[in-house]
Amino acid sequence: MKITTHVLLRDVPGSLISALEPIASHGGNIISVLHNRTDKDLVDVEISFMIKDRKTLELIQQELENRKIKIKSIEIDGKKYMEKCSISLLFIGHVIDTDIRDTIDRINTVALVSDVDVVMTSPSDKSSVLMNIELDNHNFPKLEKVIEEICREKNLLAIKSLEV
Amino acid sequence: MKEIKAVIVGFGNIGKAFLRVLMEKSSFLENKLEKKVKIIAICEADGSLVNEAGISLKEALSRDIKRLNYWKENKNAVSLIQELDLDILFEFTPGNIESGEPGYTHIREALSNGINVITSNKAPLALKFSELMNLAKRNGVKLKYEATVGGAIPIINLRDTYLFGEEIIELYGILNGTTNYILSKMTSELLSLDSALKEAQELGIAEANASYDIDGIDTAAKVAILANSLLGKRVSIKDINICGIRDITLEAIELAKKHGYVIKLIGDCKKLEVAPKLIPKWSPLNVSGTLNAITLETDIAKKITLVGYGAGPRETCSAILADLIDVLRDL
Repeated sequence: MKITTHVLLRDVPGSLISALEPIASHGGNIISVLHNRTDKDLVDVEISFMIKDRKTLELIQQELENRKIKIKSIEIDGKKYMEKCSISLLFIGHVIDTDIRDTIDRINTVALVSDVDVVMTSPSDKSSVLMNIELDNHNFPKLEKVIEEICREKNLLAIKSLEV
Repeated sequence: MKEIKAVIVGFGNIGKAFLRVLMEKSSFLENKLEKKVKIIAICEADGSLVNEAGISLKEALSRDIKRLNYWKENKNAVSLIQELDLDILFEFTPGNIESGEPGYTHIREALSNGINVITSNKAPLALKFSELMNLAKRNGVKLKYEATVGGAIPIINLRDTYLFGEEIIELYGILNGTTNYILSKMTSELLSLDSALKEAQELGIAEANASYDIDGIDTAAKVAILANSLLGKRVSIKDINICGIRDITLEAIELAKKHGYVIKLIGDCKKLEVAPKLIPKWSPLNVSGTLNAITLETDIAKKITLVGYGAGPRETCSAILADLIDVLRDL
């Protein structure tokens, strides 16, 4: 089967090798490697390769994740298999007092909170917390449900970014 | 020259602005379409001005219509719909979002009597879209409602003409000028929500009871109309999940700004939802003041964003005039 994946690599020597090794070590035959350089810190690299089965893909995916390589998307024979997206989420309310650690942990069950920014004017006032969250596209309905439950229980307002 | 007999129901800001536009455009309509629109009645809640020979628009605009010779106390729109031989009814009354009245009765009666309807009144359509459209179809007349959504933005007529063959996949945007004004002021001048609302009320942009705008009800009514009209959903305002902007703090606005976002109240016709959203600063939806902006995504054209004045009597008349021309072409 033909796999096309987009990975985000740091623009430093050795990054590409680190992404290609897991594919080669699992018997993948690399067909093409395309760099898409932008002004961002990370380079979007499209790698196409042939492997024998889905199990091999899972092993490669696991190995890439172990190496902290960000996988943006995976296609199998031209069909979407996995796509990562990143959203911002702004909570308004008593976000700290209602156990922000618990809020993050619950979001992390379906996604990954990668950045948190807090504004708290005084302990008695409502706080504002902006989180950046990364997740697989197909997990979005689960994330929405978790956010809805958190808001209902903790009386918070959640404002999502529109790119969702 | 064919004479078209019309009645205006509701003579507030929009009714008056429309008469002015009709005066300005009457020669144009006569030359281009060979139709002369004759207003033979103007109805208010407590009576009607009726003259089957045609009301002087100049007189109706310059004087209190209740002091004119043809004013009939307690004569209501429903009885006139049955008594007069009419081609078009303009429904401009303020709508009650719970009941849709009095506009719902006016529109239903007109359509049932084979009269075309052009309206700016959201409530009847947000509640009973399918029923009213089916009624129009059964009676072989048109129900036109471009002015109910987005003021001067020609979203419905755009779909009916240029995008008619395309599938609309996404449809969302800023559909309420008052909340956009308030959020813009909070963002650019760091005014609190209360101060920005007060300023909007002083400028006449917001009503004294601002709940209709602030709590997202007005946006939800428009979402219901667009979801029916453009996405073919059979829903009413009661099916829309609504969250307004009342709980948005200045700190939240500033935090969003720091991360490259602005907060806007977005009506999403696919998700049937009204909620504040973080909009990237570079987005075409990042429009300020009382502007409205609507993004639609189709299967062929992809994304199109329309920006324009969503309120204001004269701007809204742009939509009413377009609807009138469409109706006149078939008469």
